[in-house]
Amino acid sequence: MKYFLYWGCSLEGTGANFLLSLRPACEALGMEFEEIHDWNCCGASVSYAGANDLSIKVLNARNLALAESKDKLDIVAPCSSCYVQMVKVNHEIQEDAELLIEVNECLAEGGLHYNGGIKVRHIQDVLYHDIGVEKIKARVTKPLNGLKVAGYVGCQSVRPYGEYDSPIKPRVQDQILEALGAEAVPFPKKMLCCGSGIFLPEMDYCMELVKTILEDAIAHGAQLVSTVCPMCAMNLEMYQDRINKKYGTQLDMPIVYLTQLMSVAFGMDLKRDAALNCNVIPPEGILKAAIG
Amino acid sequence: MASYEPSFALEVFQNVDAGEEINMCMQCGVCAGSCPLRDHMDYPPRQIFTLIRAGKREEVLGSKSIMLCTSCYTCVVKCPRNIPVMDVMHGLAHYALRQGYVPRKETAAFGQEFWKQVYRLGRIDEKDLPRRVFFSAGLVEGIKSTLTFMDVAIRLLLHGRMKLLPEKKIKGIQSLRKMLDKAERMGKGGSVA
Repeated sequence: MKYFLYWGCSLEGTGANFLLSLRPACEALGMEFEEIHDWNCCGASVSYAGANDLSIKVLNARNLALAESKDKLDIVAPCSSCYVQMVKVNHEIQEDAELLIEVNECLAEGGLHYNGGIKVRHIQDVLYHDIGVEKIKARVTKPLNGLKVAGYVGCQSVRPYGEYDSPIKPRVQDQILEALGAEAVPFPKKMLCCGSGIFLPEMDYCMELVKTILEDAIAHGAQLVSTVCPMCAMNLEMYQDRINKKYGTQLDMPIVYLTQLMSVAFGMDLKRDAALNCNVIPPEGILKAAIG
Repeated sequence: MASYEPSFALEVFQNVDAGEEINMCMQCGVCAGSCPLRDHMDYPPRQIFTLIRAGKREEVLGSKSIMLCTSCYTCVVKCPRNIPVMDVMHGLAHYALRQGYVPRKETAAFGQEFWKQVYRLGRIDEKDLPRRVFFSAGLVEGIKSTLTFMDVAIRLLLHGRMKLLPEKKIKGIQSLRKMLDKAERMGKGGSVA
């Protein structure tokens, strides 16, 4: 199955371990990816401070138009922010003919046009609905043997539309974790936002959110926290020492991408295919012990 | 609560992206209850909507709440009247900045530098953006913030999570800018000076 992969700005930098593990893990399941030629940033969630709503829509519509002008494949966006920005614009355009005309007036300035014919999907969506849990399970050669993982869904990967999973009680990530042989622990705070794009400017407030999320994972026995979003990964992983200092906690929880766990469970190379060396809080020991 | 005074509400309907959506609010407070940063808000979204209806322009545009949004969409999912609360808050924050208010200094600087970079490159340079945000507050503040976050930068670098080369402009940057210029002129929310 072939898709456009719109990986966005973060997956070339702070979210490198997501892209590095996503490609081999998904290709092992028969997925093929094509880049959207000359794609641009999605605007993430803070652009409203500089841009009006139509500008942000046009920014995303350019990527959709570029994709539509080429192969009309579904776009897979692994980054939650890229996904939600694009899926939202796409929805609004498809529901509002007037908006589509306005957006096209702007796209025409750069010689582009969008008809509204592209589908935008999250990586969890294609893994669950196109590949399927059974096929993922069948590919596992080194099951995670009951490793206790808290599947952190966060916010933008399922909200607001709940296109492929419930936006209130999501199950997809946990089912994929179970297919890999892990035990998805109960995790009531799995939907609490980590602060997302405003973590840096609102650090004092957002550290409190991360503390609440990680303490909940720990209280439910998690040895690892998995995620499908580069902002979640960054916010949950990089500031644990600051949180410890501020609140006197002893957080030391490895944060891994779901796709890293897939590469591990598929028996692939821990460095080249799972990119475990990119993690600042090392998950390697726990994972090696689990796969034996 | 003060009585209905429609002048500011009309201003919001006409100039704020998604501003007209507040008409649907029935004051249930689910938005406030579902917000991860509610404890830090001066007025929760529900109250912001009431203040708009009461004509309290200063209170609304000067409120930090309108810029404390993490964009998690919980309020959007939970609102029983289908108000895209998040979009309204973003629209209000954008309008406040346009009118010379600064609801949250750091977040405003971050968002504005973010957008400038999108306009300049078509993409985000994760090394360059924080630097610009830090130094937008002045040289001394810039050096202080850089030192504070040096440990994070070094760890990212050591773990192969920092793109070493500077981000290049996308090939279609000129045409992207033309599209965005047009959208800035056409969009209801207008532009932040």
